Amino acid sequence: MKNFSTDVSKVSGEPLGNELPGNELSGNKPSGERSPQPFTSKANFKRLFVLFLWFLFTLWALRVSGTPELNWGGCASIYQFLSASFRPELSPAFLWVMAKAALATFAFAVCGTTLSLVIGLIFGVACSRLWWRIFLPGTVGQGIWMVLRGGLAVPRAIHELIWGLLLLNVLGLDPIVGVCAIAIPFGAITAKVFSEIIDETPAEPLNALVNSGVYPVTAFFYAQLPQALPNLISYGFYRFECSLRAAAVLGIIGAGGLGEQIFLSWQSLQYAEVWTGFYALILLNGLVDTWSAKLRRQMGFVSRMDIARRTNAQKRRAATERNRFFIWGSWLAIALSIPLCFAYLDLGWARIGRSPPFLIDLASQVTPDRVLSALSFSLVPLALQTVAMSVLAINLAGIGGVLFSFPAAQNFFLPGGLLQSVGTASRWGGGHLVLLLSRLILLAARAIPAPILALIIVFGMYPGVWPGALALAIHNFGILGRLMAEVNENLPDRPLRALRSLGASGSGIVFYGILPANFARFLAYILYRWEVCLRETVIVGLVGVGGLGRLMTEQLSSFDYSGLAATLLVFIGLTIIVDTISAQMRSAVR
Amino acid sequence: MTRAALRLESVSCQFGSVVALQAVSLAIAPGEKVALVGPSGAGKSTLLSLLNGSMSPSQGSVQVLGKAINQLQGSRRRKLQRQVGTVYQQHQLIENLSVIHNVNAGHLGRWPLWKALWSLVWPQQVNAARQALAQLGIADKLYARTDRLSGGQQQRVALARVLVQDPKIVLADEPVASVDPARSHDMMALLSHLGKNRTLVVSLHDVVLAQTYCDRIIGLRQGRILFDLPSAQVSAEQLTALYDLEASDLEASNLEGNDLEADLKPSDLENSAV
Repeated sequence: MKNFSTDVSKVSGEPLGNELPGNELSGNKPSGERSPQPFTSKANFKRLFVLFLWFLFTLWALRVSGTPELNWGGCASIYQFLSASFRPELSPAFLWVMAKAALATFAFAVCGTTLSLVIGLIFGVACSRLWWRIFLPGTVGQGIWMVLRGGLAVPRAIHELIWGLLLLNVLGLDPIVGVCAIAIPFGAITAKVFSEIIDETPAEPLNALVNSGVYPVTAFFYAQLPQALPNLISYGFYRFECSLRAAAVLGIIGAGGLGEQIFLSWQSLQYAEVWTGFYALILLNGLVDTWSAKLRRQMGFVSRMDIARRTNAQKRRAATERNRFFIWGSWLAIALSIPLCFAYLDLGWARIGRSPPFLIDLASQVTPDRVLSALSFSLVPLALQTVAMSVLAINLAGIGGVLFSFPAAQNFFLPGGLLQSVGTASRWGGGHLVLLLSRLILLAARAIPAPILALIIVFGMYPGVWPGALALAIHNFGILGRLMAEVNENLPDRPLRALRSLGASGSGIVFYGILPANFARFLAYILYRWEVCLRETVIVGLVGVGGLGRLMTEQLSSFDYSGLAATLLVFIGLTIIVDTISAQMRSAVR
Repeated sequence: MTRAALRLESVSCQFGSVVALQAVSLAIAPGEKVALVGPSGAGKSTLLSLLNGSMSPSQGSVQVLGKAINQLQGSRRRKLQRQVGTVYQQHQLIENLSVIHNVNAGHLGRWPLWKALWSLVWPQQVNAARQALAQLGIADKLYARTDRLSGGQQQRVALARVLVQDPKIVLADEPVASVDPARSHDMMALLSHLGKNRTLVVSLHDVVLAQTYCDRIIGLRQGRILFDLPSAQVSAEQLTALYDLEASDLEASNLEGNDLEADLKPSDLENSAV
């Protein structure tokens, strides 16, 4: 069970998790970090070892996946598809359809996020170590905590698309499928992250209250939750961005919204319509990302995933440009949109009543002997393929993300940025263009659903590990690039200004100032995304590019639940192994 | 024997192999103002944590208002802890709540859960909080966010919380550790005002402050009581011995005739190594 406790800073992703002053809950302090002899220090050796291990891993993945088989015959189709990007379908009737679809996707995201935050808050409190420590101290509480924390791994390991297909079988075609498919796995993820945030929030004020005779539960709600709240809210916004992307992907299985429209247009080879859908998705994602970033900045939360930095007062950007109107307007909009979105989707809650007979049926099919007999060695190569796909994807995404994180960060190429000397005239120039273009590329990469990307790639490549890896790489590149750009933006700039003023060149600053400071963080994000990437292999498997995901979708559509359970079992095992490796590596590079 | 507000009976406290307190016995009468002085690591903070029940001794008993606090459980323990207010060195305020909520946290021991939560939405007993803050000179900060206040103001908020808690005993852990001399006199004046009709135990580095504001000074060194005297009787030699880095344990224990227990037994050391 160790992996559930060590991957504490999973989605927080940051290597600072344990540097909270006086945080008694995070035990594993890095040792020997600041050694005077860098080349012999243990930490540095560990770092190099991890990089070497990762290199071997990548070599292995390349071997498993073989050389990509290109299909030159598909060039014409690719050209046809790409040239359609210049003339998207813009007829009023179609635009109206798209607008409604975009609204539906938005509503799915709002409802899914709301439910997952409710689930996340309840289970986040229940799964926090602190809660059990004050509520039921001793080994019993510790045991319950471990069971709950471990139990969260199961809904988390199953991708929202598999949840969607499963729920489609149970509940039939209804918006509630899409909402629940987001709410269940995201609820579990949120619960895990919330419990980590609660545990990483300094508990001294709580202890102070408990020691002055306050009932522990009261102290928990009065002292611990308010302190954790900014981080919880900040993470909630990030979840909303994720939900929006998930809602688009879920459209592909018929849950409705933009994803469904794009997929329908794709199947009827209406590429102009597909591009309209892409532009709509990019616009929607761009608006939501911008709004959420602005709101978080206005409310003084620096980075959505940066939990531990909160304690560092300097990092907390002063709310000088605080715009109360914007903040209150945003909250009002949130408060209004939640009921409106629920009303718009008109969820068929009654359909949940259909689940008991299905569950009984499921229980009769998924018996230990049946599941065990469905486990066979034929799953092993598929499992290895899946891992190889995720490793290749994350390598490509990581490299691209690091490269793009510099032009996409606000503090680099703009006038007055780190790579410009202070006092450069601030006018609209090349810097803005670079920033805008790189951000647009990142946005497009993460907004377009990975299965659609895989379908496009399959034009020019025979199905196998590579098309899936490429599709996942592009999608994750969009996400990683943005996260890393934020890391760059939050970099303390004084050491860099000092380098600049002693005459260092731009590249000198990157290699001596920026990379050394951010490299561990970049690696942490890459490793975290690797875990997500493994789970996402199922969504490219959906379009038949290989791995366990493909098998799962086949089993789902043929109602082979015992086989599905066996595959899921293997998959969950795989995710736990990868999570453990990633957590170990992250603590090593810290 | 009069009823002591606080009583330690041959209390020892160990963390792993580190012995923080060794066979300490003392009694503090109700209303007494006591200063704990001694070098860093002498066990002052440990002693205070024992007194408010946040720590339990390895050996010996700690009695607060005549009850052994480390043997009580649940609501009886909480009821006793309510009579002990603590001002921490790091204040331990809930920084992103406004001042009123932090001051009201002093009520939490008496408030049921629903009232505590409701108060976060709609502050309760505002007048009591305002009065407490007015006594400490920061009445205007009632609705300010706590993390926007200066260190000195935050400390006053922490004092106001204790004032609202209205305990019989006030403990303060190095309240003037990071304050300039003029401010530290202010702070001590406020503390002794807070300690009016209450028992006050405060740990200090500054002996002059201790002699000015307290009736009694206890000198701690390496987990033992070196001297325990009325303020006026503490001599310069004793203070030199207290802070002298070179002085060995033997000299130290000879200086004052405290009935210290014998030195650590070998068995203690074995236990502590676990």
